[in-house]
Order: sequence, then structure tokens, then C-alpha cells
Amino acid sequence: MSFTRRAFVKTVGVGSAAFMAARRSAWAELLQAPAPARAPRPLLLHNNENPLGPGEAVLEAVRSALGQGGPAGRYPWDDVTQLHQAIADRFGVSPENVVTGCGSTQILREAVQIFTSPVKPLVAGQLTYEECAGYADLVGTPVRAIPLDRSLKLDLEAMADAARGAGVAFVNNPNNPTATLLSGDAMDAFIERVHTAAPDAVVLIDEAYHDYVTDPSHRTQIPRAVKDPRLVVARTFSKAHGMAGMRVGYAIGHPDTIKRLAWEGPNALNVAGIVAATASIKDEARLRRESARNMEARKFTLDWFSRAGFGGTDSQTNFIFVDIKRPAKGFRDACREQGVLVSRDFPPLEKSYMRISIGTLDEMKRAVDVFGNVLGVKAKAA
Amino acid sequence: MPVSRRSFLHALSPAPAGPSSAFVAARGREAHAAEGASAPARRSAGVLLLDSNENPLGPGRAAMEALTRAFVDAGRYPTNARPSTADLREAIAHRVSVRPENVALGAGSWELLRSAVRLHASSARHLVTAAPTFEQPEKMAEQLGIGVRRVPVDKDGRIDLEATAQAARWAGLIFFCNPNNPTSTVHPARAVTEFVTRVRKESPDTAILIDEAYHDYVTDPGYATAVPLALEHPNVVVTRTLSKAYGMAGMRIGYAVGQPRAIENFNRWGITFNQNSLAVAAAVASLGDPAHIDAERARNTEARAFTTRFFQDLGCRVMDSQANFLFVETGRPAREFKEACARRGILVGRAFPPLDKSHARVSIGTVDEMQRAGVVIAEVLGAGRPVPAAASSPSRPPR
Repeated sequence: MSFTRRAFVKTVGVGSAAFMAARRSAWAELLQAPAPARAPRPLLLHNNENPLGPGEAVLEAVRSALGQGGPAGRYPWDDVTQLHQAIADRFGVSPENVVTGCGSTQILREAVQIFTSPVKPLVAGQLTYEECAGYADLVGTPVRAIPLDRSLKLDLEAMADAARGAGVAFVNNPNNPTATLLSGDAMDAFIERVHTAAPDAVVLIDEAYHDYVTDPSHRTQIPRAVKDPRLVVARTFSKAHGMAGMRVGYAIGHPDTIKRLAWEGPNALNVAGIVAATASIKDEARLRRESARNMEARKFTLDWFSRAGFGGTDSQTNFIFVDIKRPAKGFRDACREQGVLVSRDFPPLEKSYMRISIGTLDEMKRAVDVFGNVLGVKAKAA
Repeated sequence: MPVSRRSFLHALSPAPAGPSSAFVAARGREAHAAEGASAPARRSAGVLLLDSNENPLGPGRAAMEALTRAFVDAGRYPTNARPSTADLREAIAHRVSVRPENVALGAGSWELLRSAVRLHASSARHLVTAAPTFEQPEKMAEQLGIGVRRVPVDKDGRIDLEATAQAARWAGLIFFCNPNNPTSTVHPARAVTEFVTRVRKESPDTAILIDEAYHDYVTDPGYATAVPLALEHPNVVVTRTLSKAYGMAGMRIGYAVGQPRAIENFNRWGITFNQNSLAVAAAVASLGDPAHIDAERARNTEARAFTTRFFQDLGCRVMDSQANFLFVETGRPAREFKEACARRGILVGRAFPPLDKSHARVSIGTVDEMQRAGVVIAEVLGAGRPVPAAASSPSRPPR
């Protein structure tokens, strides 16, 4: 571990000075001990995580804020205010345009809770991130699940048609698990169609994988969401920011909509995540490096599958969706036996498609050897 | 001054805006929400935080060490991190002598209290709660349009179990905070068992949520956890938090204990991935170090006794505290007292209707902090008496 010990000993925490002094020196002592060896673990290519985790600046911020332990023991409400400001600054909006959650998952749930009802359904793709539909089931909101089109993209036309009378139209762009993107123009047209067909419906766009998109036709809908009370854009720190373990997501929208959306408040946010997110949102350069890193590893993996005779969708994310021409289950089980974890089933495509998260290039080189074994193809990597 | 608050500001600049009304709900956030939007950033230099019932020392050393070691897994979902959420459930199960399937995790017990309201109450089946008590369940009920029956506490600040049992017929859920926040009082194990038995008999479909957020601070020998009751009955659940004695309010970890089916429901309704990977590591380490909780209890007991004596010397009646805060009869409106203290750099608890005209809640900091607070509070309460010296204690620095 690369962090310094100085952060731990340079300031006094809370409580009595003697007590804290004792505590400080104990920490410093413990940190000089070597970290216990960790058992090797499988390649984790099943949850679309960033294999590198957060940047050093982010960890330094956490270390610096929590090193003495003080803020970890305090409710983090002041810190949340700072995070909202940092996010607002990043997008040139006001904190009233921003809501945060325990991952974007909490925000997606809140949107379903607030904007749908048993008579105001949720419209979603049949194969998309399930948080909204799962929560709709819990609260008794009907779900209009619209099948994907032939190119495994969300069928925006059919979704707009289904939006009449709906509470929320949910679009994950790029879409998990298909990795596909809808262009900025297509999204603009969709939003307008939904607004016409269903003036009360909120269009909820989950841009979780935004920072991994390389297709120039992509546009974020954040600028429009700030002005449009029927449009909300959700983002997360779990993907390109490398902070899946920190549990911070956010959404941007019109102040009136955001106010309603903040149904549960920020009470589920923890201070480590808040501090980390506040630092990470400022580090655009790292996001660009992460996107470039991912693009190279993604291309390597898709090229390997292509040479081996397996096609995938045009991935605009940190995972690929590949037609492995056999049930996902058998492939997954065989890969696990050889130390690689890949995704679960995604019905109705579980008979032939598999989602594989993109690790580092080194990890993907190891992974394709396993895939080659499992799929019975000779290694053809150039 | 032996204690510096500078470390708090290490990575923080002053907050530009007051909290939004959405903050109302948090345990410990009460102080700001109830007093409107004018509240400044809490953690400012020199300000004593006696408003949110936090552990002034923060997490134990094992927790902080584990937290930093877990940096390597900050990019992994808490299910993949090492230790994982499964390890945390196991650590909690071990600590309270149950099985992992008896434990649900929450992003603070806040989340679990809200889930309990959804799971058990409805527009046809009301919530029974105390007045005053921790408000999260009733706030949730109000958000969902569920009726609330508030049973006043008795003259000693104890939850009125007789009246609560009577109000329980046809109720969906009873919220029973033991020790009770803000009155600080506790019911002994025998009374809790009798109460549960009675409600189970008279209104068998009514669920009972016993919130033991302050469990680790209780010193009354008659008290015992209700965890065995939660294991015995299908609709009794006990909630706990690591925000209090474990000193991890910033980490947002709470848990519920009950029968597997009840727990499954909490898990189904919980926020997906509601734990931070670093916090999980800190919590697992902390749970494996019960000695530091014993030390924290001893520290709090001493500071609590000191502060209780202090108020009694000023002529204020203090309820029998079994927690890390006091409920004091100051004889003036809570809001007025709070504002006067805040002007002098001390944040105390907010108003708790219906006792908001006469009582104030004051969290227990370190003895040093309580001595500093005493000077200010004596001034505010118009008493010119000197502050009594604290008994010698391991938590005081040698002079």
C-alpha cells in the first residue's frame, strides 16, 4: 500500500489529548507492520468494476480526512453539502440541481417511488439495468418491459409509444448489459416524443457508463435535464471513477424535480465515499486516462472473440456483450473453475449471450486463455 | 485547550449553504433540520458537538487500521471486497450470538427503521410510537400516508408500555426505542419481555421494532438486549447501529436482528449495495474488538455522571440516562437554550415536542469537553456557580 503514515500522526483528533495521542501512536505502529498476505482471488470480470479502483488523489483525500478517525465518528452532513457543490461546479450548475445517493441505485429507486404508482407504470427496456423494475415490483408499480431491437439496442420508438400514461421512462445509455449506445440525436428525439405522448412522465436516463463512451455521436443529457423538469440524468462513481465500494451516485435535473427526488435525503451516504467523490469529480484527466485504458483492453478482448468467431455488440462501456453461441451458465461455470468470474444470466438472451467486464489488459490476456479453453478454440492472439 | 478541532477541518472548507429539508430524517441531524435552514456547518473550529449523540472519539484503532488497509478494494462492490458484506454479517452474528441469516445490514439503522414501517404498517394499519422518541419511523409513516399514534412518555421520561400496548390493537408496527432517544431512559428486560408477550397475545399481527441504538451505553443491571425475543418471535426485530458506541456515525452501518424470514424482507427492501467497502472492513475489525466498546462505555459512564452532577448542582432535574446523552429539565424552551449555547460555540440537541418547552437534550462528549460546555451552560442558565471539578479519569490528559 502506497500511502504515507504522516497523515495519521500529523494532527490531533478529537477527545482527550492523551487518549488520542495513545491512539495515534498505536495506529502508526500498526501501519508499520506489513499487511497480511492475501489469498489470490479469481479475475473479477462479473460486476463491471474499474479494475484499478480510485486514483491516488482520491485515496489521499480520504486518508487526509479520516486518518485521525474524527470525521468517521461524526454524521457527515456537512460533507454532503460540499459534495453537492463539487458536483454542481463540475457541470456548471447549482447545488439545487444535484441529488446524491448511496450509489445511483438509491436514486433510481427514489425515482420509481416518487414518480410512479400502481396506475402510473414504469417503461423500461426488457434487457436493461434492473434496479428500477426490481423496485417497481416491490412497490406495486406495473412495468412495461419493451423488447430490444434486432441490433440489441433499446427500442426507443416502442418505448416512447409505451410511455403514454406512464410515470417514468427509464433509459440506460449506454445500456447494461448490452453495452450499446443510443446517439445524442436519438435521445433528443425520444425525450421529445415522450414529452408529447406523456406530458407527466419523467424521463430517467442512467448514464452510469458515460465516461467509457468513445462513439462521437454520444451526448450527455445533463444540460437539457437542468432546464427540463421532466428529465433526470443519473450518474455513478462506481464505474470509471473506480469507486464501486464507496457507494456514491448522483443525479442532475431541474430544482423542482430534484427536490421531489430527494425523498430519502442523503442519510445513506458515508463520509469516506463523500470525501472520495468530492475529490474524484475534480479529476477529469484521470477519467480520460481510464477511458483510454479501458478502450485498449476492450478492443483487445473484442478482437480476440472476433478472431475466434464470436461476435459482440459495439461496446461503449467497460464490458462486452458477446454471442458465445451456447448457454451462459455452462460457460460461466467452466470459467469459474479456471479462476475467471463472468456475469450471470440475462434472460431472454441467456441461451447465447454473455456479459464480460473489462479488466486490465494483462487480466484480459489471462482471461482469453481461459475463454479459449472453455470455448474450445485455439489461441489466436497475434 | 487540550483538544484541537483543527483535524476536523483538515480536508474541509466551510460549507456554503445550509442543509435542505431532506436532511431532516437523519439520526443526529435533528439539530439542524428542526431549527430551519440557518444552521452553519457543524464541524467548525472550536465548536463542541453535543447535538447528535456521537462518540466524540470516533472509531477505535483497529477500525481505522482496517479501513486504510481496505483502500485496495475501494473499487470493488462490497460483495466482492475483502472483507465483504457477507463477512460483516458473520461478524455481527458472532458478536450478538445469532446466525448470519438472522442479520440484515442497513446504511445506518435509519434505513432499517424506514423499511420496517413499509414492511409492517399501511394506511389500514397504523404505527405506534412514543412522544418524544426517535422520529425516523413516524417521518416515514407520514411520507407514506400511514397513520401514527404517539404515546406520551411518563413523567420520568420512560416509554409508557401500558398505554403503548393499548394503542397497539390493529397497529401494523410498534416502534420501541430502548434506551429511548431523547429521554435516555431504559426499560428493564423483564418489562420488555412482558410487553412483547402481551402485545403478541392481544394483537398478534402487530410487529414490534425494538431499537437498541444505545445498547452499548447502558449500565443499568436490569437491562438486557431483546435479541432473544427477536429470535423467538416472528414479528419482533431488534435494530442496532455502529454510529454510537462504535464511533462510526460517518460510516453508515446499522443492522437488524430477527428470524430469517423477517430478515429476508429487510434485505429485499434494502438499498442495493448499502454498505461502503471501507466501512465494512472497519466494522468487521471493530466488532472483533469488544474491549474497546467496554472502554468506551466506561468513558461515557464517567462523563455522564460528571455532567449529570453538573446539571443537578445547577438545580436542573436530569432523567436517568442510560445512553450517551442527557435529557435535562432546563425550565426554558429548547430552542432558546440551544440558540444561546450555539452563540457560545456549543451545539446541543434540538426541540423534542411535547417536551420542547422545558427540556433539552445534551450529548455526552469527553470529560474535557463537558467541563468546557459546563462553563457555557452555567452562563446560559444564569447560574454563577463554579463548575465542579471532574473526578480523575483515564480519559483526562495528565497535567
